[in-house]
Amino acid sequence: MDTLLNEDEQLLTDQARAFLAKESSTALVREVEAANKDFDQGLWQKVAALGWLGMTLPEAYGGVPAPFSHLGLLFEELGRGIAPIPIHPTMVAALAIHANGSAQQAEAILPAVIKGDKILSWAYFEAGGDIDLSSINMSAAVGANSIVLSGKKLFVDGFKHADQCLVVCRSQPQSSGAEGISLVLVDTDSQGLSNTRLPTMAGDIQDELHFDKVEVPLDNVIGELHQAGAAAIVMFEQAVILNCAMMVGASHKAIEMTFDYAKEREAFGQPIGSFQAIQHMCANMVTWVDGATMLTHEALWKLAEGLPATREISVAKAFCNERCPAALREGNQIHAGIAQIKEYDLQLWYRRAAAWSMRMGTSIQHRRIVAREIGIVPEPSA
Amino acid sequence: MDFGYNEANERFRQEIKDFLTANVSREFRAEVREMQGKGMGPLTKALILKIGEKGWIGMSWPEEYGGRNADRIDQFIFEEELVRARVPLNIGNFIEQAPAIMAAGSEEQKKYFIPRLVRGEVTFALGYTEPSGGTDLASLRTRAIEDGDDYVINGQKTFTSGAESASHIYLMARTDQDTPKHDGISIFLVPIETPGITVRPLWTLAGGRTNEVFFDDVRIPKTAMLGEKNQGWYIGSKALNLGRAGAMRYYTYVSLFEETLYFARSNPLGQQLMDDETARDKIAELYCEAQVARLFTLRSLSMVRRGINPPYEISSEKVWGPEFLVKSTEVVSQILGPYNQLWEGSDLAPHRGAFPKRYVSAMVSTFGHGSTQVMRDAIARRGLGLPRGSI
Ligand SMILES: Cc1cc2nc3c(=O)[nH]c(=O)nc-3n(C[C@H](O)[C@H](O)[C@H](O)COP(=O)(O)OP(=O)(O)OC[C@H]3O[C@@H](n4cnc5c(N)ncnc54)[C@H](O)[C@@H]3O)c2cc1C
Repeated sequence: MDTLLNEDEQLLTDQARAFLAKESSTALVREVEAANKDFDQGLWQKVAALGWLGMTLPEAYGGVPAPFSHLGLLFEELGRGIAPIPIHPTMVAALAIHANGSAQQAEAILPAVIKGDKILSWAYFEAGGDIDLSSINMSAAVGANSIVLSGKKLFVDGFKHADQCLVVCRSQPQSSGAEGISLVLVDTDSQGLSNTRLPTMAGDIQDELHFDKVEVPLDNVIGELHQAGAAAIVMFEQAVILNCAMMVGASHKAIEMTFDYAKEREAFGQPIGSFQAIQHMCANMVTWVDGATMLTHEALWKLAEGLPATREISVAKAFCNERCPAALREGNQIHAGIAQIKEYDLQLWYRRAAAWSMRMGTSIQHRRIVAREIGIVPEPSA
Repeated sequence: MDFGYNEANERFRQEIKDFLTANVSREFRAEVREMQGKGMGPLTKALILKIGEKGWIGMSWPEEYGGRNADRIDQFIFEEELVRARVPLNIGNFIEQAPAIMAAGSEEQKKYFIPRLVRGEVTFALGYTEPSGGTDLASLRTRAIEDGDDYVINGQKTFTSGAESASHIYLMARTDQDTPKHDGISIFLVPIETPGITVRPLWTLAGGRTNEVFFDDVRIPKTAMLGEKNQGWYIGSKALNLGRAGAMRYYTYVSLFEETLYFARSNPLGQQLMDDETARDKIAELYCEAQVARLFTLRSLSMVRRGINPPYEISSEKVWGPEFLVKSTEVVSQILGPYNQLWEGSDLAPHRGAFPKRYVSAMVSTFGHGSTQVMRDAIARRGLGLPRGSI
């Protein structure tokens, strides 16, 4: 028991932070956003060169063996640096391919991903915004050699520049819940697959995907046909905790900017940070974001240890979703007018952390999972 | 990051649990209820002695003072299980007064007090707060004036909990009128039986007891002073900071919630109330927040184990925990509704009426041992480096 970072973890954090402070400048972030570019190719290549795209993946593919917690800490720094690269969707899909795909599939995909030559995305959510597998309706008709996808996916990150998209679909039409679920890796230029851009408040653009009888070879099914419900949940949970890590990282940065501002900005002849009312807001902000951090770290640690973490992940997400944006709102209130002005940098973090809190499950949805996990949901009466 | 307990920790936890199962009897529980506000009954004294013999009290202290250099994690586990089992051992003494005595006491004081604290023979009541105020503690007025080899104490303390059964008062008094307020305070270890001390009960909303203590020409030898003259503020505030952390505090904050969870899972009424999705959402929210209380404590513990003096983290615990406790009483009251107002004595009252008692007493944690306002000041100033204002 020692909840603080160990030496390796601290080193990783320090190095990533220093790198991103330099390479993911606000000028770059602004440029990517202004040009609707989705991401910066130069930064992507540098990140690949550092081996980040292979973190936790096998050395044989060019990866860097590391515990899952290291990946989490890296994402914390990517969030702090609001790095304009599609690393979240790419890693979520890559981890699922590594965990469930055949050796052949892994060899065909992962080395290119790790080198930075292949971008991946994942498509899980559908209309209605539910997060459990019973919400998966995208149909996949299985033929002799291929599988044909029809339906819609929403809120897909990183799709525009992705080469392939890992799609969660229902391959057994009569099935429900976690039954009859398959993971299918679809080339993004497949015939019948089109997208509608969904601009977001984070400025990072998601996509709505339309699958009109998109035919995919059966070889592209990742994991067992019809039996991938559990794998889809793991993918979802990993995506959720990495999203928490990003929120936590971005929030730390934004509250630090606020504390600095409070020390310098003056009103009534003294720094506003000397007013007790402001100090107490700051004390709350650090307490909330620290709490979000601790919950996220505990879940990351559980995943790193291979322990069940469904509960911890949803606890972290439910808390992060509410408290990180709340801390940032306090930060905005302390900055007052200037926080509303685009030129001022605080908003870059504010909009992103807020948008991240609205993805991959709301607090209410995650608390539903928590309620189930802590055993307070009554058994349906017979 | 390591959020797990190792095998030795787990074995130790089991050992404590087994001990408590074997030794905390129905009769013991009945005695604790019966003796509330009247001191310690014979079964309680016997249990504490037994716990002392086990070497668990102050187990992380150095050997020469009765500890055994054990891991602080094990001490945390011991405290957590003991408080969870609601054994009324004054753990505060072991996390506040004992460390202060070890840090500042004379050899003689250490040799006298520490083993007796461990054996449960010495217990301190905390004589800090005065009628004029507790938050601005350094403004205290009780005076100790030198007279030959003695000090003579006059003044009044209030909210001196446990004075009815303690062997000593851990007393802060003013020993210098002419210095800035923080630099004229000393700490005395005063036997409660000393002539001139009068203890008068104050009854709390939840039916518990605290006290007013009057000092009327109380004469004590100079050897009763802890540490150096006029250094009392600094000795005391260090101990107070330690007392704000640890399993005892954390568990006090989340115990109501744990009981609620138990009630929701196992009591027919509790299960019925959980049929409401909104109620479940509230309970799940509290669950998330309780984890923050737990993790903040583990974070402070991790820092202390690494030899880091937490600059603000203990204050965060002391803001989050109490406010969590208060919120949990609120939420639970709105889930239980009319059942939550039924006091002890009603057959319909869940948990013998524990919920309304916790409801009326929860606020104490938000001002005792450093109020949430002052804790927030400390986070902002010591933790975040915000400037001190002109107030
Ligand atoms: C059941 C119970 C048991 C107790 N046991 C003990 C005990 O064993 N020993 C002991 O010594 N004491 C004990 N206390 C006393 C407790 O420590 C005090 O109540 C506490 O320190 C607050 O002091 P006060 O009640 O005088 O309030 P005050 O100090 O008068 O404070 C009133 C309000 O003013 C606020 N305030 C004060 N200063 C500031 C500031 N600078 N900025 C913003 N707000 C401020 C406070 O936060 C509080 O909200 C006990 C109290 C209770 C109720």
